[in-house]
Amino acid sequence: MAKTPFDIELDELTLARARRGNMDACEQIYRLYRQPAYSVACRVCSCRELAQEVTQEAFITAFRKLGQFRGDSPFWGWLRRVVVNHSISSLRKSPKADPVELKDHHASSEASADRIGLAMDLESALSVLAPEDRAIVWLHDVEGYNHQEIAGLFGKTESFSKTRLSRARSKLRDLLDAPSAMGLAQSALAN
Amino acid sequence: MLYSKVHIMQKEQDPLNLGSLPQISPPDDDWPVIRDALVQHQKKRRFTRMAFSALAAAATVTLAVGLFINQPVVSPAPVSVDSPVASTAAPVVNGERTLDSLIALSQQMENRVRTFRTEVGGMPTDSLIYQVELEDLVAQVDFELSVQPDSIDLWSQRVNLLLDLSRLYQNQLRRDYHRMASL
Repeated sequence: MAKTPFDIELDELTLARARRGNMDACEQIYRLYRQPAYSVACRVCSCRELAQEVTQEAFITAFRKLGQFRGDSPFWGWLRRVVVNHSISSLRKSPKADPVELKDHHASSEASADRIGLAMDLESALSVLAPEDRAIVWLHDVEGYNHQEIAGLFGKTESFSKTRLSRARSKLRDLLDAPSAMGLAQSALAN
Repeated sequence: MLYSKVHIMQKEQDPLNLGSLPQISPPDDDWPVIRDALVQHQKKRRFTRMAFSALAAAATVTLAVGLFINQPVVSPAPVSVDSPVASTAAPVVNGERTLDSLIALSQQMENRVRTFRTEVGGMPTDSLIYQVELEDLVAQVDFELSVQPDSIDLWSQRVNLLLDLSRLYQNQLRRDYHRMASL
């Protein structure tokens, strides 16, 4: 079974020290969750620079509000909510962000050629979606948010979330079924 | 059996298998920036706490004097030499009233803030940071109140913080209203 950020072990002592404002403990937490936090921000914002800013702000907010984390659920669940809130807020301010570039994803992948090909197709298809649609499909399908939570994040109704998810999935399916159409769409985006 | 159930659920949740995409690595180490921001925040918080204590003390004195002037003087119970309790009971009356009215005021303010919170939409970053700081301070005062529940000083701090929060929301609502009106 693949490891998820929920599996990251964070000991109570580090958490307690961080709550008291100990910088070494905060740094330890930052290093543990830096990558998943950035990854979620990147997927929601679809822009590396924006995602970096969002991750910074999210960690600052999280450390300031650490006293509000009760510890009765996994820390990543709480931190992820902070990251997603900041990401959506940034997305609303600058919705026309540049899509995530594929070349970096290439370099980091160590899977087989087939899997890389499939991942590339998925990445390409995602980059064609509208920013809000991309964020919604990611939050629902990968992060496990329900429609009520997504609606709350965007300040809209549940039917908004359902409609956009269905539209995004259908567009993704079309794009994955017809790679040539995806190429056209991407070149249209580039132009 | 269990595996196939989990597999089906995952398929329904993520039909396009987006979850299979790898995590994206962050480009730079942002810890120095985050640490500096946190250190600044800690300094500012210490200063704010000191300023609030001074303000709260002043507010308490004003409130106590106001209550003392406006309230009819409670005639102390006849002091009996045999009753040691009676001699200490009378002077507490004004203090208790101050505490009660502060608690009531704090509850009122909290209800008001709660109502505003449901009405206000997205906030700009600067207001959001201020809101987070204020909520942080309220949480801290709440923690201190759990240790000293009868501290007039702490209750006045709480009222002042909630008043600031309520002003923040009111301003945002005003902004939202003007934005809607201009459409």
